[in-house]
Amino acid sequence: MDEKIHPDVEDFSAEPLLDTFIKEIQKEEVVFLLGICVALVLVILTVVFFGNFWGSSKARNAVLLLGLCDSGKTLLFTRLLLGKFARSQTSITESSATYKSKNDRGSSWTLVDVPGHESLRVQIVEKYKAVARAVVFVVDSSVFQKDVRDVAEFLYSILTDGTVAKNTPALVVACNKQDISMAKSAKLIQQQLEKEMNTLRVTRSAALSSQDGAVGGSVYLGKRGKDFEFSQLPGRVEFIECSARGSKGEDGDVAGIDALEKSLARL
Amino acid sequence: MLDFFAIFSKGGIVLWCFQGAGVSESFTGPVNALIRSVILQERTGNNSFNHNALSLKYKLDNEFELVFVVGFQKILTLTYVDKFIDDVQLHFRDRYKNELEQRGALKFLLNNFEFGEDFHNLLREAEDSSKAKAPASMRTFIESQKSQKTVKSMIDTKDGDKSKEQGGKKSKNAKKEGGDQAKAASQTVSKKTVENGGDGLTAEEIIERNRAKFISKQLGGGKPEKITSKSPKPQKPKGKAKRVWDMGGRNTGDLDYSGSNGNNYSDAQTQDYEASAEPLIQVDSMKGDLKGVDYESSDDDDDDDEDEEEEEEERVIVPDTNKKGAKKGGFGGMFGMLKGLVGSKNLTQEDMEPVLDKMKDHLIAKNVAAEISSQLCESVAKKLEGKVMGTFTTVASTVKLALQDSLVQILQPKRRVDILRDVLDARSQRKPFVITFCGVNGVGKSTNLAKISYWLIENGFSVLIAACDTFRAGAVEQLRTHQRRLNALHPPEKHAGRPAVQLFEKGYGKDAAGIAMEAIAYARNQGFEVVLIDTAGRMQDNAPLMTALAKLIAVNTPDLVLFVGEALVGNEAVDQLVKFNQALADHSKTDKPRLIDGIVLTKFDTIDDKVGAAISMTYITGQPIVFVGTGQTYSDLRSLNARAVVSALMKA
Repeated sequence: MDEKIHPDVEDFSAEPLLDTFIKEIQKEEVVFLLGICVALVLVILTVVFFGNFWGSSKARNAVLLLGLCDSGKTLLFTRLLLGKFARSQTSITESSATYKSKNDRGSSWTLVDVPGHESLRVQIVEKYKAVARAVVFVVDSSVFQKDVRDVAEFLYSILTDGTVAKNTPALVVACNKQDISMAKSAKLIQQQLEKEMNTLRVTRSAALSSQDGAVGGSVYLGKRGKDFEFSQLPGRVEFIECSARGSKGEDGDVAGIDALEKSLARL
Repeated sequence: MLDFFAIFSKGGIVLWCFQGAGVSESFTGPVNALIRSVILQERTGNNSFNHNALSLKYKLDNEFELVFVVGFQKILTLTYVDKFIDDVQLHFRDRYKNELEQRGALKFLLNNFEFGEDFHNLLREAEDSSKAKAPASMRTFIESQKSQKTVKSMIDTKDGDKSKEQGGKKSKNAKKEGGDQAKAASQTVSKKTVENGGDGLTAEEIIERNRAKFISKQLGGGKPEKITSKSPKPQKPKGKAKRVWDMGGRNTGDLDYSGSNGNNYSDAQTQDYEASAEPLIQVDSMKGDLKGVDYESSDDDDDDDEDEEEEEEERVIVPDTNKKGAKKGGFGGMFGMLKGLVGSKNLTQEDMEPVLDKMKDHLIAKNVAAEISSQLCESVAKKLEGKVMGTFTTVASTVKLALQDSLVQILQPKRRVDILRDVLDARSQRKPFVITFCGVNGVGKSTNLAKISYWLIENGFSVLIAACDTFRAGAVEQLRTHQRRLNALHPPEKHAGRPAVQLFEKGYGKDAAGIAMEAIAYARNQGFEVVLIDTAGRMQDNAPLMTALAKLIAVNTPDLVLFVGEALVGNEAVDQLVKFNQALADHSKTDKPRLIDGIVLTKFDTIDDKVGAAISMTYITGQPIVFVGTGQTYSDLRSLNARAVVSALMKA
């Protein structure tokens, strides 16, 4: 090549490189080229397939136990897994274990006990919401009247979460602590929650957007123009009563969680 | 003597517990309080906590995710508790190592942790060891060192010099005294007085003496010059001079302010009255050049300089140790690095220290208050100590992740923050929802009050603004301008014929608490749904103003007390919030004083990513940030997004 390279007029364009590349490829045998192309295509296909299957098999294998602090999630967790009583304190981290459901198929999935404390719950729900197949929302029936707004706010924030709204996991509202005499019934709790969620729809959508412009929860629950009812939600919703402690007190082995277990078996 | 001891997993399941004899109440309550206020608020740095009459000490085991808590009566000072907890932890781990190393949460449930025997043995050992040390008895005089010294050696040679120098009557007297006392010195008592006599001549005397010595040396050892000692005592004045006061009591007419209060303020002529109502203003006092900054504030400047120097020294020392550490690791570094990446190893304090120091400096650079940063880093260290790292995770990444989690945790509101919902509640109860804004000067209370009232009007509520800033010139006019603009934007026709916003004011110079009370009564009568009370800005160490604010809040019991703080504030945020809360708590007469319920973070658009003030404020009070002000127009009002703030904080 007789070209003189002028330092000040150097042309670093990619064209000469491409030309040499194509020349090299054309020099090779056709078989080689074919082999390389097939290999590339195979790799791409495998990646795509694995991605799909992985996604779907990883998908939705967890049942989350959510609820306010002191609603009895950890005790319920223990009861469901082992049927025995364990004393519990406020949870700081989540606990997860495999649960064999009591249905004919004997399917098993992961039961996750999420701490109820306000500063922890959001982060942990973020972690598990994509793989949530069902949500068991535990409500303390004896102090429900006082906490109705907090309960409704938590439930609203879960239902309006983008991922949850897309996956529509089944929702089971477990009205716990039925062994206490002042406990409200599931029907009453459902009515109160519906009323509260109705109001929340209005106030939450009018809430301020956050400082970087993101508007949280643009999901509208239920039907516009009509009062909110849980039956309007796309997923399956059930309200059941249960008592994790059982009527016999601390040492009692019989707990009133049969209804809950049956409900979980249908998942 | 221990009230209880509990071992439970971080997931909440109690593995083993012990309740002391005679203790009837369960420990669940106190331990839950401990968890909520210490561990979950990232104050794990201090490891003891008081709850009513109980004192609780705890220890986290991060490898197996356990918490050990011991509780005892606060009045007992048990010295063995710290060591006891450590012993119990080690013992428990060793004994149940196999069970605890299983994976999953079921290990806590399936295994029976029979720890009673070991616990009682350890407790007995700990109690015995604390009793074994008898209190040190005082030594007798014979045994002490003093009796072995000679008297002469104990006499201060300072006296000797003094006796040579001074002219002047006073010093002669002192010399005589010194001489006498020197002779009499044989007991410790007189030794003290000798020293005192020596020191009795002040520092100035010593300087004079040194100067004399210096000059005598200069003169080649000539006679020491007679220096007239500057006696610190003032010349006795001849008789007592009459004290002259400012006002002199001569002209009582000056003291009569009765004409200037209580008139209309919107007229131009009344501005003259208000000018004379300003206290402490003396006409002609500002003539000529401006005076320099006061003596007092130069003192403050000196203090600040000293503090800055200390901080700089600390910062200089830290990078030195970091460099040393890096050099040592240089050779073993190659393999050490690989070893560090693969395989599981426990995190120790030494591993985490350089990373944590770097993170602390990073946080401080992002405008988090200095003590908050250090407390946060200590808390993260406690949380991570002993934790097992997975493969391919470095210490730095683990620590960063843990710090990020704890920052998000701090910024999450600990209670429901939904003002519209609460206003709706108040509306159904037919009483107004009262919000009070307090803060130091110039943070944006009035501006953000106007923004919030705009937001409320947009959502269909009627608002009454109470102008309780009766000190700052133009405060009432400012609010009136806002009211006019807001009413222009939302004309009364849209709001059932009544104006959306109304201003309640009583001019300047009046008592703010009284105006607030009248405003709330007016709102209740007229059916306003929200009352926004604007107070005057005040410095946190101005005691009378803080008392006035506390009185306003205690008397009127607003539904929401919002502290307005600007995002530009640095370490001051800690001081402001602590003192404000203190004042509110001190001056309220009830058991449960109304403290700050929420924070409004203003001027957020002026900081790019130095968002640390948000962390400082929420950490100190534990209250959520309710509003974020991002500008000066009515629509510049936002809510806090914890995740965005934390990512801005952790960004390099």
